[in-house]
Parts: sequence; structure tokens; C-alpha cells
Amino acid sequence: MAQIPNLDNAPINLISIREQSQKELINILKNIRGKKCLVIDPKLGDSLSLIIQTSLLKEHGVELRHLSADHIQTDCTKVVYLVRSQPNLMRHICSNIHHDESKGLQREYHVYFVPRRTVVCEKVLEEEKLHNMVTIGEYPLYIVPMDEDVLSFELDLAYKECQVDGDTSSLWHIAKAIHKLEFSFGVIPNLRAKGKASVRVADILNRMQAEEPVNSSDMVMPEINTLILLDREVDMVTPLCSQLTYEGLLDEFLNIKNGSIELDASIMGLQQEGEKTKVPLNSTDKLFKEIRDLNFEVVVQILRQKATSMKQDYTEMTTTSQSVSELKDFVKKLNSLPEITRHINLAQHLTTFTSKPSFLGQLDMEHTIVESQSYDICFDYIEELIHKQEPLTTVLRLLILFSVTNSGLPKKHFDYLRRELLHSYGFEHITTLNNLEKAGLFKKQESRSNWLTIKRALQLVVEDTDTANPNDISYVFSGYAPLSIRLIQHAIRSGWRPVEEILKLLPGPHLETKRGAFSNSPSFDSLSGVSTGIAKVPDGRRALVLVVFVGGVTFAEISALRFLCSQEGMAYDLIIATTKIVNGQTLVETFMEKLG
Amino acid sequence: MANVSVAAEWQLLYNRYYRKPELYPMRWKHVDLARHKVAAAPFGGPVAVIRDDSKIVQLHAESALRKLRLFNSAGHPLADAVWRHPGGRLIGMSWTDDLTLVCVVQDGTIYRYDLHAQLVEPNISMGKECFEQNVADCVFWGNGVVCITEQNQLFCIPDFRNPKPVPLADPMIEEPPRCIAVIEPQYTMSGNVEVLLGVADDPVVLVVEEDGVQRLGEGLLRGPLQKMVVSRDGKWLASFTHDGRLLVTTSDLTGIIIERECESSLPPEQIAWCGMDAVLLYWDDMLLMMGPDGDPVHYFYDEPIILIPECDGVRILSNTSMEFLQRVPDSTVSIFTIGSTSPAALLYDALDHFDRRSAKADENLRLIKPSLPEAVEACVDASGHEFDVSRQRTLLRAASYGQAFCSNFQRDRIQEMCKILRVLNAVRSPEIGIPLSIQQYKLLSPSVLIGRLINAHRHLLALRISEYLGMNQEVVIMHWACSKITASLSIPDATLLDILLDKLKLCKGISYAAVAAHADKNGRRKLAAMLVDHEPRSSKQVPLLLSIGEEDTALMKATESGDIDLVYLVLFHIWQKRQSLEFFGTIQARPLARDLFITYARCYKHEYLKDFFLSTGQLQDVAFLLWKESWEFVKNPMASKGSPLHGPRIKLIEKAQSLFAETKEHVFESKAAEEHAKLLRIQHELEVTTKQAIFVDSSISDTIRTCIVLGNHRAAMRVKTEFKVSEKRWYWLKVFALATIKDWVALEKFSKEKRPPIGYRPFVEACIEADEKAEAIKYIPKLADPRERAESYARIGLVKEAADAASQAKDGELLGRLKLTFAQNAAASSIFDTLRDRLSFPGAS
Repeated sequence: MAQIPNLDNAPINLISIREQSQKELINILKNIRGKKCLVIDPKLGDSLSLIIQTSLLKEHGVELRHLSADHIQTDCTKVVYLVRSQPNLMRHICSNIHHDESKGLQREYHVYFVPRRTVVCEKVLEEEKLHNMVTIGEYPLYIVPMDEDVLSFELDLAYKECQVDGDTSSLWHIAKAIHKLEFSFGVIPNLRAKGKASVRVADILNRMQAEEPVNSSDMVMPEINTLILLDREVDMVTPLCSQLTYEGLLDEFLNIKNGSIELDASIMGLQQEGEKTKVPLNSTDKLFKEIRDLNFEVVVQILRQKATSMKQDYTEMTTTSQSVSELKDFVKKLNSLPEITRHINLAQHLTTFTSKPSFLGQLDMEHTIVESQSYDICFDYIEELIHKQEPLTTVLRLLILFSVTNSGLPKKHFDYLRRELLHSYGFEHITTLNNLEKAGLFKKQESRSNWLTIKRALQLVVEDTDTANPNDISYVFSGYAPLSIRLIQHAIRSGWRPVEEILKLLPGPHLETKRGAFSNSPSFDSLSGVSTGIAKVPDGRRALVLVVFVGGVTFAEISALRFLCSQEGMAYDLIIATTKIVNGQTLVETFMEKLG
Repeated sequence: MANVSVAAEWQLLYNRYYRKPELYPMRWKHVDLARHKVAAAPFGGPVAVIRDDSKIVQLHAESALRKLRLFNSAGHPLADAVWRHPGGRLIGMSWTDDLTLVCVVQDGTIYRYDLHAQLVEPNISMGKECFEQNVADCVFWGNGVVCITEQNQLFCIPDFRNPKPVPLADPMIEEPPRCIAVIEPQYTMSGNVEVLLGVADDPVVLVVEEDGVQRLGEGLLRGPLQKMVVSRDGKWLASFTHDGRLLVTTSDLTGIIIERECESSLPPEQIAWCGMDAVLLYWDDMLLMMGPDGDPVHYFYDEPIILIPECDGVRILSNTSMEFLQRVPDSTVSIFTIGSTSPAALLYDALDHFDRRSAKADENLRLIKPSLPEAVEACVDASGHEFDVSRQRTLLRAASYGQAFCSNFQRDRIQEMCKILRVLNAVRSPEIGIPLSIQQYKLLSPSVLIGRLINAHRHLLALRISEYLGMNQEVVIMHWACSKITASLSIPDATLLDILLDKLKLCKGISYAAVAAHADKNGRRKLAAMLVDHEPRSSKQVPLLLSIGEEDTALMKATESGDIDLVYLVLFHIWQKRQSLEFFGTIQARPLARDLFITYARCYKHEYLKDFFLSTGQLQDVAFLLWKESWEFVKNPMASKGSPLHGPRIKLIEKAQSLFAETKEHVFESKAAEEHAKLLRIQHELEVTTKQAIFVDSSISDTIRTCIVLGNHRAAMRVKTEFKVSEKRWYWLKVFALATIKDWVALEKFSKEKRPPIGYRPFVEACIEADEKAEAIKYIPKLADPRERAESYARIGLVKEAADAASQAKDGELLGRLKLTFAQNAAASSIFDTLRDRLSFPGAS
């Protein structure tokens, strides 16, 4: 099964987007004649694995290498660097070329920047006196389709860069990506944004539309009806909670990378001892599509049922005589056997993690913190984690959750915990702490927390959640309804106006406007327009909402959105775009920076 | 009748009619072509005139200084300039495709002029050889020129857009050639220009290229050629032989197509193709037109003329008039030939009858009913070929009259033709003076025509035409704006801005930045700044703002745009241009620029970043940088552990500490740095005493653990007191450390030292993790919380004890969970069921 997802069922034509990206890359390779060594920066390589097969690259005379500080060993005289436009990657290229020079190797160098060339990167080349030796090009890859309803901008560090470094390049990238979508699918007429970064993206997007308008006259109806932009900053609680959906848990424990996980072959029941195997996880796998968004408890039950019914059928097959059509049905079922086996293996492997007391304890603590009732218990628990020198990310994850729900900790506790952290994990983590403080994730308390008010007003904690037959998004965290998705639920249903008071309690401004040809109609319409008129597209399909998470989204949140989508009376299809798919751990890791 | 009078002006050559309508009487005064060198551009282009300095002429009431004068095709003066160039005689001049006048002088310098007689800098040189040998003659084509020197060497410029002289192969001839012609690069096999030379006393034609000379026509020619000209498509060569014959051959001289005696054996002054099927030869006062067969046509002139070849005929310029000699188009012939009964002629006649209210109109129409569409088409077509507006109108009226009676005629044909004719008539007016025929117009294309109009500063007409033809007006308005700026030196900025904006707004998406750039080039920086403010595209606006020195506005606009790349562009620009302190001040005021600078400098300009922080008083940030540097010592391979290099490292950290201490807000960091320095010292000592390099750069907790593991309890204790490690942490660390080395005796002793401040949980956990059940059992009963006891028992698999503890805790949920843990064990799960039943907690599932 391929890692590149099948996008046939996507609500908009994502295949064309992917094919366009494929074509652009192939063209770059074609234009450099003969054999060449393609050096890709590893992170970009990961993203590209969702766009194009390696075999296709090799067909164009490409020898593949990963970019690192080490020099490249190849016989090719042409070296093509394909890198994200980040200045630190330039270092590697420079040292590569300098090495070749010192060895007297004559090579032709091409540097292709993704998604575009930047002054900073060229400045580095210039300072290293290499800018005359390299041919510079661009590979405008702004969007990578992860699955039929998920797009990623592949900006891992976006959130940290914005919050800590004040570098807002990612916002321009996001706006550009959306604007590119608009060129294919029409100007999105309704826009809602919450959070500083989101409102800025909306602003840049509108500028782009003014500078380089999408010609909307030849498009009768824009394919995307509404754009909702949401800052991760608005809801930092959700990503720090342990996800309890199947896909979410897989990500928490096995780290889903570009739609696949890598684990020991033995776990998947394969013979090769000690070897790693890659398991793709996307909607091409029918069974996975069915169970990925369910609470893990339920998944275990479903898999058990499937296995049992399979076994029953098999027994019937062997004991009673069957008609041909029954045989056919059976064989059809057999086809799904590999999928069932695969997920039973995975689920089994997951249970070894989920049954650990430490995990259960952590879940318990997360709920206690979200409930925001017993400050002391939480504080003691975290203190103990530090004393036991539990992995730093685990500690920080809870600590940030704790700090965010309390809008910071009293100075005494803040300083105490920081000191204990430095003592336990080393003074090099001072930068990490500094980063977290700058981002407002772990800080001194300056005002009273309004988390309780928000939690109550938006009904974030739901008692008696039935995970098997959920009627609310809270099933994804077994009782906690993710704040981000609650907001989107409101935004879709009625716009911001009814929840304006609550929005004011959350960080950042909010915005609701009409764009393009519709921008002249009074803004009052934007509210009523949602529930009536434009919601229905003539051909019977549901109107489409593009939800963009600025700063990352978790699988659990995606699941919750899919759940909303599947509800009766829902007038919209959703498509989700994000800077990167994250979880508590990866999000915290972006802020971690060791001195030295 | 009208028909008769039209055809009466035609001449018959072989089986074709030719006509020679006058396009304009020349408006110029006192221009005698005989005294001048003349260059006229094809496609109805301008005419350049300058007194011929190779002739001896009598000066009337005029200056001795020569003057280059430019006229349009109607003799309307466009511009003039005094010719003061050095370099010897003017050898030749011609117009290029983009209407630049190129003038070649003797020493090989080429001067270029635009339509307004402004010299285009820089001058081109044909190279050293031409300078030394002197140019004797030159031949032009569309965009190139070939020069021959007095020593018979050939040099060419293949394309004036990239004017680099290229030497051609040496033809190895002693005497100057009798005649020269070129085949344009686009028609040759090699793609390079081919020069044909008719040499004296040798019955061949030399073909000179870049890389060789060929001899053509051997055996075909009976003597040297006197004059030759290549047809427009490069296929045919018309030449005048030494014995007074006109010879038309293929251009590779492999076959003779036509050979005809002329009335004179003197070579003609001019020879030209008229279209593709006739050749014109001009001797003093006689113009002879030769066709493939039949008698030649004679035209007599009592004044000098210049032949200007066009794609569909030849324009004849004389002192007094501009004529156009062309083959009469077939449609025109069918209508106007004397005695024509073609449907088109009858339709034209019918209109005449109709106008005179004669019933014969109807009769005519009925006669041609079946072929009415062709008749209409012929009238439309013929109207297009007319220069006379009233005749155009009559023909179109005939077409429209006929169209009314035929159902299946393409209706927009007439409309289309009207459109074309309106454009043609507009540019043919004597003020504009571009007498394009319809065929020339189609070949030239409307966009080139508009280009020529704006070059001639006929912006309004160009704008109207492009509007009328539904073309993009941006080019016109842009050119107008630029010309306006150049021409309006005396208009104040604000007024000029209003004038410009008024027109620029006509065109959506026009580049204000480009206009602004032009304003800047013309030294109007303030106007440029005002204009660039209207540019919506920041990516164009910002670089321009930088180039006109508006850095602060550029920074503001770049920041607004959200495009980080632009901000960096401005940032680097200012960085380079300004003094450090001024630069720091500028970016300090702009948070985004400041943050980006810091991000970049953090990677590449560490020291500079320190300067920045010092200048802005951010001492804590300098401290962070120093602290970070202290780790660089570790990376440095020279800094081996335990070496005196620890000294400088610690010094850096202490410096950081003192900087942190400068501000009240950073007491914590200052403390931490102090502790860090202290830790490094202690670790260093430990490494010396233990002779093991395992301490430096581990955390305080790890140091304590390592000490305990090594059995050095005193050192561990010392670290604990030095850093005021809390009892809580101490217990966890020590318990785990002892468990690591499986020193269970010491662990037990430790548990009994005093009542542990956090209970016995660390002991239980350490034992369970080490998988020592027996040890764990020692401590589990000491746990205070029954739930913890139950869970601990469960973890080491003691079902009964777990169940007992759980029931003590009276916790149904816990029981349920424990049951799940023992799911595989039937006996165990029954224990839980019984217990739970006994408790019967509500809500327990």
C-alpha cells in the first residue's frame, strides 16, 4: 500500500494540486540535463514523500542524498540542492561546496528553494562568496495534501517562530497558500478568524487579493464557502492533553510521520527480526478510515467483533456447504483480512502503552488540571515528576497545561519549579524556559485565570460521555470537548457574534468579514447568510468550509471535526489545513532549545 | 461611369493590372532628393533626409552645417538635428525594425537616432579593422547591417538589439564589388546572414558567410553582375547583367527564371522588387517595370525618386509626392475592369442604380442571386484595399446592400472591415502619415502599430485604437506617463502627479512602480516617492522605495505587507548603508525588523548582536548570549575536560551572572548562572578527585546520583547542601540511585534513618521498577494510602493483597480497574467481583 494517499474522495480537487507539484518538480529535474545528484533537506524529503514516489525521481536520472554538514559523495558533476529557504540549511550547502573546492572537484551547483528564494538565504551564500557559483531556482511547494480532507503547510516551527522569535514568515506562507487555493477554487467569500496570527493572515490574504486579484468573474460559484482561521495560541489546552482517539494515540506513542509510522517488524507479525517496517495510515485503508476517529476503547471492541465474525464465517465455511454467492461474499471479506490483522497488531501494541500506570496517572492528572479544581494536587504531582526526573517533555507538557489553565503560576511557585527543573535536567534548559516564558506558555501569574468561565460557558467538560455512541465532540478526550473545536462549531453554526463575550476572554482579536464579490454586502448578512442561502451548493453537495489552524492541529481535533461533519443536519463539508500536525510532545519539543 | 475612370488609371503588365495611386502630396518644402541621402522605413514608416556629402551641391540660403531631418511619409516634419559627428563621410543610413535610424560613417562608427532625432547612446563601433580600413559601403536589412571596407573585408552586426560586430570570411577580392545584396538570417540555411557580392570581371556571385566563401552561378552567368536585389522572402535574386539584361534567378543561382533585354546597358540607379511578381528598374527619369512576360511598363519622372519596397508593392517617393505602386487586387479587378460582368461588378452597379432609384438595381440583383455572397465578399475585400475614403465607403455600401439580400453571409465581416479601415484611415491622415495598406497592417500587427504610434508620441491615437480594438491599454498609458514625466520638467510635482494619476487610473493593475522608477531616473525623486505610494504590489513598491532612498517608508511598507522577505531586503539595505548606531536605532523602533535582525544575527553575527543589545540596554540578552557561548567551549575539541579552559568558561558564566544582576527582573537568571558556575567548579573538583571525567555538564541531580552510585556519599551530601536540595528531591534521588546499584541493604538502612518526608512511595516504586518483589513487599505495607497499597500490590501481581487493600479504600472504581488488570486471570477476577458485590458501590461498572 502506498504512503501517498488516495485523494479521490476529497471535497475539492486535491489531486490536481498534488499533480501540479509533481509536475513542477519533474520539470526542474528535466531542465537540468543528464545525471544529477539531488540533495534534499531531510524534513522537506519527508513532505515530498507525500507528493512523489522516489522511483519517479530516479527515472529522471536522479541520485538521492540527504542534506547534512557532511560532504556529498557522488560521481555526478551536477548537484541539485532542494531545500526549504532557511538560513541554517545554507550552512550545510556552503560547507559542501567549500569541501568540493578544497578537493578540486568541478561541479555544477543548483539550489532550488522551497517555496521561494529569500533574501536571507542568498545573503548567506553571498557572504560565503558562493552566490556566483550556484544557479538559484524556486520550487513553489506551499501545500502538501496529507489526506483527502487534510492539508499541511509543513511549517514545523511556525508556532515557535511567531511566539518566541517574532518571525512571522509562516503567516505570509499560509496566506500565500490560501491565495493559491483561491486561484484554483475561487475567492472564499466568508472569512472568520480568531487570534492575532489568524487576523494577520486574513489581512495579508486580503492584501494579496488586492495586489494580485483572483479573477472571480469567470467562476460562477467559489468552491470553498467559508474560511475559518484559528490560532493555536487561542487553545493551548487541547494539544497538551493526551489524545484518546485511535489515530491520536498512534501519534502519541508511535509518532505518525507524514501519514505513516515506523515500528519493529515483529510487532506487525512479520518475520524479519529486529527490522523496521513502515505502516501507512491514511484513508486509502478502508478499515482505518472507519476507526481512526473513534475513541480507542471502542476501536478495541470493533476489532474484536470483526475478528470474531471472521472466525465464525470461517468455521461455517469449513463445516457447512455454501452457495457460490456466499462463497463470493466470504472471499470478499477475506480481502479485508490483512487490514484487520494490521490494526489488531497495532491496537495490541498500543495497549501495552495505554495500560501502563504512568499513562493512566498522567490522564488522571490532565483531567484534574482541565477541571481546574485542585491546584495543590496538580502542583505536587508535577513537582514529583521533576524530582523523579521523568522525561522533560512529559513534565513540560503537564506544566504548560497547568500554567495555561491558571494563566501562569504565582511567582513563588514559578521560580521554585524553574529552579527544580534546572537542578534536575541541567542549566542548559534555561533557554527552553525562556522560550516558554516568551510564548506565554509557562509564566508568572499576572491576572486571574478565566479558564473556569470559558470551560463552563463552552461546556468543555462533559459528564457521562458515551464514547461508543458519542453525541458530542467530547468523546475524543473521553469527557473533555476540545476548546478549539467548540469555537469552530460555533463559527460554523452561527458566526462569532453569539460567542463574542467568550472570545474576548481568549487571547487575540477576532474578525468576521465578507470578501471578493460579496464584500459589498453589509456585514450583518454574514451571520444570517450562513444558516440560509449560500450554504447549499446547487448540485446537492454540501458547501465547503476550510478550517486553518495557525500553529498546528492534533489528530484528535481533526477527528472531532470529522465527527461534526458526520452529524445530521450539518450543512457543511470540512477541509482542514494546518501548519503541521502536532501533538503535545512535538509541540513542546519545538520550544526546547539546549544551550550548547 | 465611375467604373471606367477607376480602371483607366491601371497599367497592364503581362496579364496583371498595376496601379499607382498618390498617397500624399509631400508637405515638405525645399527638399531635393537629388542632393540628399534618404532613408525611408517600410510599413509606411518615417523618412530621414540629410544632405549627401559625397556630392558637390550648391548651397542656397542654408547653413553649411548639415542637418538630419526626419519626416513622416507625408512629408510632415517630425524632428531635426544638426549633424556634427566626426568619423568621415556618411556611408549609409537606414531604419531598423523598431524605427531607430542607424547611420554608418566612414570610420565604422554607427550613430543611432530615435524618432525624435535624439541620439541614442552609446554609439556602436564596427570594430578596429573598419576604423583602420574605412567603410566603403554598407547594406542593411531589418535589424542588421553588413559593411565592406576599402580593403574589401566584410563585417556585420547581425542584430542591433545586441550590437556586436562579427567579421565575415575574407572574400579575397582585389577590387571593390560591383554590387552587394544580403539574404536575411531568417531565410538562410545557417541562420546567419549571407552576403552576395557581384565582383568585377568574374561571372560569379560570391556568397560570404561567417565561416566561408562560396562561388555561385558559375556557368550560369555570362558576365559580372552590375546590380542585384533579393526578393522579400529571400528566394529570388533579381540582377542586372553587364550586357543590359534583367536576370531573375533563384537566390542560390542554380536556375534562371526570367531573362529579359532592357533598353539600356547602363546599370540602373535603383532596382527593387514590386511584390513578388515584378521588378522595378530606375534610371534617371525612367522607371521600368518588368513582369514575367509581356511588354514592360514605363513610367516617366521629371524629378528624382526613391523606391521604398513594401511587402505588397513599392512606394515611390519623389520631391513632390508619395505614390504606392501595387498590383491591383483580384477583388478590385473583378469590380472595376472595364466591361466586367462579375457578380461583384453587377452588385456595385446595382447600388448605383439603387441610389439613382432605378429599377435596374433589382434586375442586377436577381441576375447574381446565386453568387451574391461572393459578390458581397469581393466588395468588402476591395474596400479594404482602397486608400480613397469615399471609394471605401461606396464599396462597403455595396456590400451592405448585397448583404441585405443574402441570408448566409457572415455578418461580422463588414463590421470587421469597417473596424480595420477606421484604424487605417486614422493612421493614414497626413499628420500621422503612416500609409499602411491592409496587407501591411496585417503583417505588422496592431500591437506593433500601437508601439510605433507611442514611439512617435501619438499617445491619444494609440490609446483610442487600442481601446477600439479591445487591446490592453497598459503599454500606451505607461509610455505616456513616462514621456509626460520626461517632457514636463517645469510642472511642479503635485500638479504632475495629479495629471498622471488621472490617466494611470484608467488602467487596472498598471505598475505605478515602473512609472515611479522612470520619474526617479529623470531626477524627480519626490514625484517618484508620491507615485510609488500608489503601487499596490509591495514586492514592486519596496525595492523602488529603497532605490530612491526612502528607506523608512520602505521598511514601513514591507512590514505592512507581511512579506518577511521584503523586510529582510530593507533590513540588509539599511544595515549596509547606515552606521551601526543609526541602524540599531532604526530597527529598535520597529519590532518586526528588530526581531528578524536578532534571528539572523543569532546565527551569523554573534558579536554584532551583542553590540546591538548593549546599545539598546538589553543586558539580559547579552547575558544569555554569553551564557550560550560558555557551552561553545565544550564543543571546541581543544577544551578537553579538566583542562584549565574551565577557567574562561566559568568566567563567561560569571560575567553573564553579573549582567543579569543589573536588572531587577532577572534575579532568577542571575541566581541560576551563579549556581551553574558553582556546579562546574564542584564537578571539576570531583573529576579531579575521582579521576573520572563523568561529572562536568551533568545536572545537579545527576551529579548527586553519580556520587551515590560511586559510593561517595559525602560528596553527594556536599552537593546537596551546597545547592540546598530539598529533602523531597534528595529522597527520590538517593532511593533511585541505590536501586540502580541494587544496594538493597543501604536502601533499607536509608528508609529507617528517619521517617521519609514523602512517605515510602519512592522505595516501593524503585523496587518495583527494579523488579525486586521481595524488596517491594518490605515497603508496601508502610504506604499510608490504601489505594496506593492496592495498586502497588497489583503491580507485583499479588491479587489477594491488592483486593484487600482496595476494599479497605472502599473504592469501587479502583476495584473495577484492578479487575481489568487481571482480566486474563479468572480466579483473580472473581475475587474482585465478589468484593465489589459486597461493597456494591453505585456507579461502579
